[in-house]
Amino acid sequence: MTEEFRVPESADPQTGRIDNKALVVVCVLSAVLFIAFAVGFLLLPATHQKRGHTSLKDNIEHALGHHVHAPQNFAAATPETIPTYVIWDETTIHEALHGDPAQGEIIALNCTACHGDNGVSSQKWIPSLAGVNRIVLYKQLADFRSGTRLSGPMTAIALSLTPQQSADVAAYFSSLSGGIVSDPIHAPGSGRSLRAKDPTLRLIYAGDPRRGLAGCASCHGPGAYRLGVPSLLGQNADYIEQQLQSFAQGVRRNDMNMPMRTVAGMLTADEMHALAQYFSVGSPLVK
Amino acid sequence: MERNRLLPLAHLWAAFLFFLPAICLGAWQMWIRSPLPTVLDDPNAYYASVTAHGTLMAYVFPTLFAMGFGYAIANSARNGVLAGKTLAWIGFYTLLTGVALAASAIFSGRASVLYTFYPTLIGSPFYYIGVALVIIGSWFWIAVMLLNFHAWKRDNPGKAVPLSLFAISACAALWFWTTLGATSEVLFQILPVSLGFRHTIDAGLARTLFSLTLHAIVYFWLIPTYIAYYTLMPQAAGGRLYSDTMGRVAFILFLVFSLPVGLHHLFMDPEHGSGFKFVQAVLTFMVVLPTLLTVYTITSSLEIAGRLRGGRGLLGWIRKLPWHEPMVLAVALSLMLLGPGGFGGIVNMSYSMNAMVHNTSWVTAHFHLIFGGAVVIVYFAIAYELWPRLTGRPLASKKTACWQLWLWFWGILIVTVPWHIAGLMGQPRRYAILDYSDPEVARTAPLVLLSVVGALIILLSVILFFIVLVRSSLAEPAGEMPPVRYSLAVNPPRTVSPLLNGLGFWNVILLVMLVIAYGYPLGQFFAMRNQSSPGYSLTRELNK
Repeated sequence: MTEEFRVPESADPQTGRIDNKALVVVCVLSAVLFIAFAVGFLLLPATHQKRGHTSLKDNIEHALGHHVHAPQNFAAATPETIPTYVIWDETTIHEALHGDPAQGEIIALNCTACHGDNGVSSQKWIPSLAGVNRIVLYKQLADFRSGTRLSGPMTAIALSLTPQQSADVAAYFSSLSGGIVSDPIHAPGSGRSLRAKDPTLRLIYAGDPRRGLAGCASCHGPGAYRLGVPSLLGQNADYIEQQLQSFAQGVRRNDMNMPMRTVAGMLTADEMHALAQYFSVGSPLVK
Repeated sequence: MERNRLLPLAHLWAAFLFFLPAICLGAWQMWIRSPLPTVLDDPNAYYASVTAHGTLMAYVFPTLFAMGFGYAIANSARNGVLAGKTLAWIGFYTLLTGVALAASAIFSGRASVLYTFYPTLIGSPFYYIGVALVIIGSWFWIAVMLLNFHAWKRDNPGKAVPLSLFAISACAALWFWTTLGATSEVLFQILPVSLGFRHTIDAGLARTLFSLTLHAIVYFWLIPTYIAYYTLMPQAAGGRLYSDTMGRVAFILFLVFSLPVGLHHLFMDPEHGSGFKFVQAVLTFMVVLPTLLTVYTITSSLEIAGRLRGGRGLLGWIRKLPWHEPMVLAVALSLMLLGPGGFGGIVNMSYSMNAMVHNTSWVTAHFHLIFGGAVVIVYFAIAYELWPRLTGRPLASKKTACWQLWLWFWGILIVTVPWHIAGLMGQPRRYAILDYSDPEVARTAPLVLLSVVGALIILLSVILFFIVLVRSSLAEPAGEMPPVRYSLAVNPPRTVSPLLNGLGFWNVILLVMLVIAYGYPLGQFFAMRNQSSPGYSLTRELNK
């Protein structure tokens, strides 16, 4: 070891006294914070004010997180453009989930003529209701009632139901089997991506990124679930195809934020037909 | 052979046994994102895999490693008297239970929410309870560390705590504060929805709570590495630490500055004002200080060792360093990766540059470079250093160990450099499968293929690592092994200010800083109109 690196014999340092080091630390930290706050809440808002058309007060509010956007920036929605009046908050979801299936069974006597005895419709342009998620049924009844989804018979029927009765009948149909299959979880498998050979399966699982199309399955399943979105496995083919056409033409527009109107508007007629067939056959095709 | 060796050994084995599947999943993820043909090209499989990889790598592996390393340090600092051993074992088994619960949820496809949870995504409650148990298990470790820290001071009145024990105690304190964010997010925001008691969640509040954890957790991973920089490397290089005080200051700066900075993970989030984002960006710049201090001190320590070994001239000392010592090699490689990694971090925390790289692969590449490159490479070297002491058997082959470290170094570089570039070219992060038939995406294909090659090199390196560990564990006992010796400074300080010998003052400072930086951003959620939105359950079961 060279001379300059000789180590003192005592390797056990002793603790010293707290002098005014603590005070120095506090002062330095306070200075850093003071400068950061001054720049973040005064200097930068003032700079923005010089460049923009907003007032200094507005810019300081913005720095605090109070976004003061003038209400006139949002054009008031006209009744025709409101897609749905259902807002998924704590109350609505709770109501939609707490129907009484026994009460619902009585109400459902009004439904069987079209939707089938056990909620399985034999008429291919009318949807089966057995096994449909109760939140979906609740929302569609609410939309029929408010006129945001159009159908002569269904509007009349929905108007005769209270929200509670809608939840009851939804609870009843969702408890039936033999109709729609809800399959949110399934074992991972190959061929469920952009690499799938079958173009319809590719659309279902991966969509088409070039058209900005998300895969159907990412909301409708299988393998995924989204609040208020129905599973389609086992649904009647003609009904699915007809609804895709309605969304594409803007005849049906009760999809909040327009996911279905956007997607369906980009599908070709052949794709709509193929998708409807695949979903209606269910599990064997859409593995 | 050291007393109480089973405790650290069990933790380190468990850490590396969870590390192995996580590495394999990572390599597969890199593969599935590439244009190469693959089995199981299912996005759901990808997201389940990413969740498992992230949970194991971010929560389980480094936590178990820090726990094991911490017990080893405390045990040798206190000459084989470790207080709170029962607590330590309870913590260990709590953690393992948590891993089992979380894994069952992830691999049944019910928790593909990624390890950062991403509310309003909601997965199975077993996943969140599992992660919470992992954290709670580590709280036992915090208690044991602080218990021994105070016991050391009681046994050695008037003396300064050894740097290694001081640093690991600062790490434990930091981890306590860090976990408060994620734990409260899970307990008060996510679990009530996951269990079905509530249906809506305030994503802004949940994300803000998580941001408290998200940055400081990186320093929790980093501190064991820095402890090796300061206390193991100089010794292994045959030299002395340049400055003991510098080490203490660095660890304290980490404790104080790694928490009130998390909002830089929310720069693009609308729920916070630009003022608070700016303040926390400034504080984030302060975290660069301890890293710069460390780079300076450690390079100086390397120079001291090189010159003591006869190195001359401006750079001649570099050749004289013992590059066959895994610890020296790992620290040098780690420092080299810390450079570009730290630079990427400065880009991310710069408010306006962040906007350019937000949600691109750049970010994913950045944290892989920092964690894999700068941190984990030293974990390997620490394992090589501790293994002979804990097993009483010599290390099987230092040569294989050095090969392993070199392969890891190149593997990490080959994975992350193209990954950064792909991010700058606009490749989005969190994409399971990319459409390479699109010319825009096809431009990144060669880069992703390079990353796949890097991933395979990493895999090879990990196989070598296990070969060394297993061969060492099976070797003939070598009789009495010298205990772990921590490096002394060139000029050990004769007196240490109590400020640099205890954590109380700094915890108070940290609390005040947290209130200043986070008080308003968190408090606003309780003052304003409820912003909750429905939990996005992964399974229909919740709303059946």
